[in-house]
Amino acid sequence: MKNILTIITLSITVLFFFSCKENKESECCKKDKNKTEVGTKLDNTNESIFNLESKWVRQNKDSMLLRDLSNKITVAAMVFTHCESACPRIVADLQRIEKAFTKEELQNIQFLLISMDPVRDTPERFAEFSKELQLNDHWICISSNNDATMEIANVLNVRIKPLSGGGFDHSNTIHLIDKNGNIAFQQNGLAQEPTEIIEKIKTLIK
Amino acid sequence: MHKILTIFSLFINLLATGQGQPSMVNIKGGIFLPLYSLDSQKTIVQPFLMDVFPVTNEDYKKFILQNLAWSKSKIKSIYADTNYLHQWNTDTSFNENIALSPVVNVSWFAAKKYCECQGKRLPTVAEWELAGRASETKPDASKDLKFNQWILNWVSKTNPKILHHVGSTFKNFYGVWDLHGLVWEWTFDFNSALTTGESRGNSGLDNTFFCGGGSFASKDINNYAAFMRFASRSSVKAKYGVPNVGFRCVKNKIHS
Repeated sequence: MKNILTIITLSITVLFFFSCKENKESECCKKDKNKTEVGTKLDNTNESIFNLESKWVRQNKDSMLLRDLSNKITVAAMVFTHCESACPRIVADLQRIEKAFTKEELQNIQFLLISMDPVRDTPERFAEFSKELQLNDHWICISSNNDATMEIANVLNVRIKPLSGGGFDHSNTIHLIDKNGNIAFQQNGLAQEPTEIIEKIKTLIK
Repeated sequence: MHKILTIFSLFINLLATGQGQPSMVNIKGGIFLPLYSLDSQKTIVQPFLMDVFPVTNEDYKKFILQNLAWSKSKIKSIYADTNYLHQWNTDTSFNENIALSPVVNVSWFAAKKYCECQGKRLPTVAEWELAGRASETKPDASKDLKFNQWILNWVSKTNPKILHHVGSTFKNFYGVWDLHGLVWEWTFDFNSALTTGESRGNSGLDNTFFCGGGSFASKDINNYAAFMRFASRSSVKAKYGVPNVGFRCVKNKIHS
């Protein structure tokens, strides 16, 4: 008799489990419907990175969505702050681009560093990093979670390979993103002559 | 007493299949050594649950019906190229004979979304390879010549016009079907397949860089099948729809 009771309890638990699962699923899909409504506003710019729904945290701990970047044009790169060689170099490349513009022009340009190392690149760490590299108010450093990081990397076509020492091998690409969130230009490789990207930025801020 | 037990377990089984959820099996964790790594990079894989079958067209249709934004005509081009669900006739229909074939021509973004909606996720390369090295009888057959030859034979064949149904190849040691012999599968971190050479200097993203660095650094150059999976991962982009790439989902084991 006890056995039968146990079995009945078990089967009810199983039933319960399935019904919960069902709920979870529809919630996920419901959420998606909300997302689409927001997304349809951007329909003419289908390729826009502003379609992504992921949440990010800035170095001042404010949270943001990628579409919050739409008031300026964005010069972006994926980095991790614990790296010793390539990342300061890519920041240097971005600073070199920054120097090509006047104060007035810089009002329409923002520089974005996206972390590929969400575990270690906390807002605190990014604040420290900004100080070390003397990044001014035109610079935004953001991090999120593993999922969002992988998603943005795939949208930007950046390959990231974690290494055993805690570092990463990665593509070194500078992305120029217009006010609609479209990738207007990509500069591949470190220490390139930034002439072309500077020209592109100039046409975008006109 | 036994009868009651049998009836109840039958009942529960029916319920489970009635949900249309492909069941999952437990994959023992272990250590995965990437094939292409120079720095003897070990990845420790925790035990996890893996879908027994790849996701079928039928399964995927259920997802589309609840998420029309991911249908052929509505999907944003940031998430998929024009190959997306090429084998389907309309947003929600396909020829009945492919219902139980693995869904292919789905992008990484779409595969990831599908798994999320099931409360699951895409497997990492390490997880996939750990499950994929099991033959019918052994948890690790990566050194088994016959096993590797069998996979290579499949890889070297052209794809049939209509992909076979899921459950048509073999069930491995863990109880997982079709990891080899049917389609290749998306992994969460497929884009980590880059050789160390690439980060020095230029990142020629579209170059077939694996020939130079990869073969040199390869852990186990006899395992050509794994090598080809690596090469394939490094040649695709997340929005690509590929006619022989499908996917399945995994889930963390909940410790009680």
